[in-house]
Amino acid sequence: MRSVTYLAVAIFLLAIVGPFFAPYDPAAINIPKRLSPPSSEFFLGTDALGRDILSRLLHGARYSLGLAFLISFIALVIGTVVGLLAPLGGKIADWLIMRTTDSFLAFPELVAAVVIAGLMGAGMWSLIFALSVTGWMRYARVARGIGLSLQSRGYVIQAKLAGLSPLAIARWHYLPSLVPSLTVVWTGMFARAIIGISTLSFLGFGVQPPTPEWGAMLLDARIHMRSTPLQMIWPGLAVVVSVLAINLAGDALRDSVAERSEHQ
Amino acid sequence: MLRLDQVSAKRGNVVALEDISLSLSPGNTLAVVGESGAGKSTLIATILGLLRPSKGTITWNGAEVSTCRPSLVMQEPRSAFNPAHPLLRSVLEPIVGQRATVPTERIERLCTGLELPQQLLNRRPSEVSIGQAQRVGILRALIATPPLVLFDEPLSALDAVTQKHTARLIADLQREEGFAALIVTHDLGYAVAHADEIAVLKSGRIEEVATPESFAVAPKSDYCKTLRDAAIALGALEAVG
Amino acid sequence: MIGTVAGLILRAIVVLSGTAIITFALLWNAPGDPAQAIAMARFDALLTEDVIDQVREEVGLNTSFWSAFVDWIAPLLVLDFGYSSVTGRPVGPDLWVAITYTFPLAVMALAIGLAISLPLAIIATKNPGGMLDRLAVATASMGTAIPAFWLGLLLILLFAVQLNWLPAMGARTPVHSILPAMTLGFGIAASLTRIIRSGILEARDQPFLPAIRRRGVPVRAIGRDHIAPHAAVPVVTVVGLELAFLLEGLVVVEVIFGRPGLGTFLTSAIVARDFPHVQAVVVLVALVFVTVNLIIDLIYKRIDPRIGEHDA
Repeated sequence: MRSVTYLAVAIFLLAIVGPFFAPYDPAAINIPKRLSPPSSEFFLGTDALGRDILSRLLHGARYSLGLAFLISFIALVIGTVVGLLAPLGGKIADWLIMRTTDSFLAFPELVAAVVIAGLMGAGMWSLIFALSVTGWMRYARVARGIGLSLQSRGYVIQAKLAGLSPLAIARWHYLPSLVPSLTVVWTGMFARAIIGISTLSFLGFGVQPPTPEWGAMLLDARIHMRSTPLQMIWPGLAVVVSVLAINLAGDALRDSVAERSEHQ
Repeated sequence: MLRLDQVSAKRGNVVALEDISLSLSPGNTLAVVGESGAGKSTLIATILGLLRPSKGTITWNGAEVSTCRPSLVMQEPRSAFNPAHPLLRSVLEPIVGQRATVPTERIERLCTGLELPQQLLNRRPSEVSIGQAQRVGILRALIATPPLVLFDEPLSALDAVTQKHTARLIADLQREEGFAALIVTHDLGYAVAHADEIAVLKSGRIEEVATPESFAVAPKSDYCKTLRDAAIALGALEAVG
Repeated sequence: MIGTVAGLILRAIVVLSGTAIITFALLWNAPGDPAQAIAMARFDALLTEDVIDQVREEVGLNTSFWSAFVDWIAPLLVLDFGYSSVTGRPVGPDLWVAITYTFPLAVMALAIGLAISLPLAIIATKNPGGMLDRLAVATASMGTAIPAFWLGLLLILLFAVQLNWLPAMGARTPVHSILPAMTLGFGIAASLTRIIRSGILEARDQPFLPAIRRRGVPVRAIGRDHIAPHAAVPVVTVVGLELAFLLEGLVVVEVIFGRPGLGTFLTSAIVARDFPHVQAVVVLVALVFVTVNLIIDLIYKRIDPRIGEHDA
C-alpha cells in the first residue's frame, strides 16, 4: 500500500512541476501538424489545432488536480465549521444545521453542481463555487458525529465549566480529534472533485477552452473520435490514474486510522 | 450559599430528580448518598447548569450558580483530561483569560497540599497513576479558588489505600481554602466521616437529611436504616451504640 | 413506531422545503439579467428595453424575494410546472416525454449493475483474500475511478466506431439504449460489488453463525436465512447512494449519447436559461431523491428498529 501513497504523491508533484517538463507551449497552434499520431516529435500526438497533447496534459494537471485540491479544501473548511456548530450550538442549532445539510444532500451533488455552475455562467470561478458548495456535506456529517461523541467526554465538560469559549473548545478539544477521519474523507472528496471538474468541463460548464483541463480536452477530442481515437484516450487515462491512486491511498490511510483507533 | 428549591429535572422523558430542596453554606460539606441510578449524577449536572431543571430554582447567594464558577472533580480521573495535552495545560484552563501569568505560587501551594511533585504536571494523563490523576483533578478544581466545588464519586475509581489518603487531602484543603463542598458518593462511611450533613437520595427524591451523628445512631426511614446496616456489614461504617 | 414514522415523514417535508428555498435562492441570484437572456432566446435580435421589461413582468422577476418565492412555490406544490420561458409551451408534457426516455434507461442500468455485481460479489467471497476476490476488488476500484463520460466515449469508440455493432447517437430504437445502459451499469456494478462483498463478509462474521452451523443447519439455508438479511442492510443503504450516482451519470450519459431524456432536458435548459425547465427537473429530482430515502429509512426501521435512534 505504501507504493500507492508514493504514486499519489508523485501525481501531486506532477501537478506542481509537470508544466516545466512540457516539451511545447500547450497553446501553440501548429495547423500543418494537426491531428498527427504519436511520434518521436509529439509523444502523444497533436490535437485538432496541432497543439502537443503531452504538453497540454502536463499543464492540465495543474487545473484538474490543483482545482480539485482547492475545491476539496474549501469544502473541508465549510463542512468542518458547519459540522462543529451542531454539537457546540445546542439542540436547536443542531436540528437546524442537520436539516440544512439534509436539504443539500437531497440532491445528487454533481447534478446540483451542473445546475449551479451552468446558471452562474461557465468559468473557473463558477466551477469552484459550484463544486465546493455541493461538496461539504460529508465533512459536516463526520465532524458532527465525532463532535457529538466528544461532547460527553470529561475533558470537554471540564473545558465548558472552566469557561472556555465554544471557539476555544472547538480549537483545542474537537479539531485535533477530527483530523484523522476528516483526512480520510478528504481523500475521497479530492478524487470526487477530479471527476467533478472534468465532468463539468466536459459538459461545457467548467473550465473553458483553450485552457488545457483534462475534461475540456476530452470535449475537444470527442469530435475527432473517428480519425484520431487515441487523442481521446490520454486525458481520460490521466483522470482515471489520478483518481485511482488517490482512492487507493485513501483506503490505505483509512485502514491505518482504523488500526490506530483500535489500539487506543 | 448554595440553595436548591423544589428542583425537578428530566433525563429525556424520564423524571430523574423530583422536588429536591437542599442548602449548603460556605466552608461546609454536604454529602449526597444514594445507590446507582438514584439521580446523583443528574443532581450534579443540574447544579452545574449542564442540565436545565424542569421545575424549581438553584441559586448561589441569590444569583445563578454559574456566576460563582463552580468546579467539578470527576469520577473517572483520566478521562477528565484531554489525552493529547500535558496535565498542566488542562489545570490552567479555568484561569485562562483571567490571568496572563501562570500562578506559580498557588500551584506550588496546592501541589504541596496534594502531595504532588510539580514535574508530574508536564506529563500526559496516560503517564500518571489514577490516584495521581485524581489529585491533579482536584488541583484543577481548586486553582481558580472557587467558592463551590462539586465532587462526583471522587474516590470510587481509586484503590482503598489511595481512597483514605485522598479523602484526608480533600478535607485538609477544604479547611485551608474554605470552599463549600458537595460530595456525591455511594460510600456511606466516607460521608459519615467527612460531611457536615448527609442527604440520602433514592429514586430521584430526598429520603432524609441528617447530621452524620444522628444518621449513624438513628436513621429515620427504613431505607436509611437498611443503607446504614449494609455499610456496617461491609465494614465501611462502625456500629455506634 | 407510528411516532418515528411520522417523524421521518416530517423530516422529509422539512428537507424538501429547505431544498426548495435553496433552489429558489439560486435561481433568484443567478447572475446576468435572466429577463434579457430569455428575451434574446425568444425574439432573437429584436431587443428593446420594452421587450425585456415585458418579459420581466411576464416571468415574475420584478418582485421581492419572499413574495416571489411564494408565487414560485404555490403552483409547484400541485406539480404545475408552468410554461417554458423560451418556447412558451407548457413544461409538464415535455418533461413527461423526457422521463419516458430516462426511466427505462435507469432501470436497464440498474439491472445490468445488479446482474454483474451480485454474482461477482458472491464468487469473490467464496474465498476471501483469494485470487478471484482480489481480482474482483481491483476491478471494482478501477471501475469507480472511471468517469461515466469517458467510459461512454470508450464504449462508443469500441462498439460503434471500431466494430460498428451498435448505434451510438439518439434514442430511436431500444437498441440505441444498450450502450448508454452499459455505461451506467458498469459504474453501478463497480460500487455495488464492493458494498455487497463487504456486506456478505460482515454478515458471515456474525457471532451466532458458528452455533447455527454446529446445530447442523445446511450451508445453503444458513446463507439464505441468516447471512442474506444481514447483508441486506448495507445493500438498502447503497440503493440510496446508487440513486445519486445514477442520476449524476444519467445527465452525462444522455448528453454523450444524444438521448432526449432528463439530462439533456436539464443541460439544454441551463444553456438557454429556461428557468421553468431547470426548476422542473430540480423539483422532480429532489422529490424522487427524498422519497426514495424516506422509503429506505422506513425499511431500516423494519429491519432493525434501533437504527437511527441516536441520529437527531
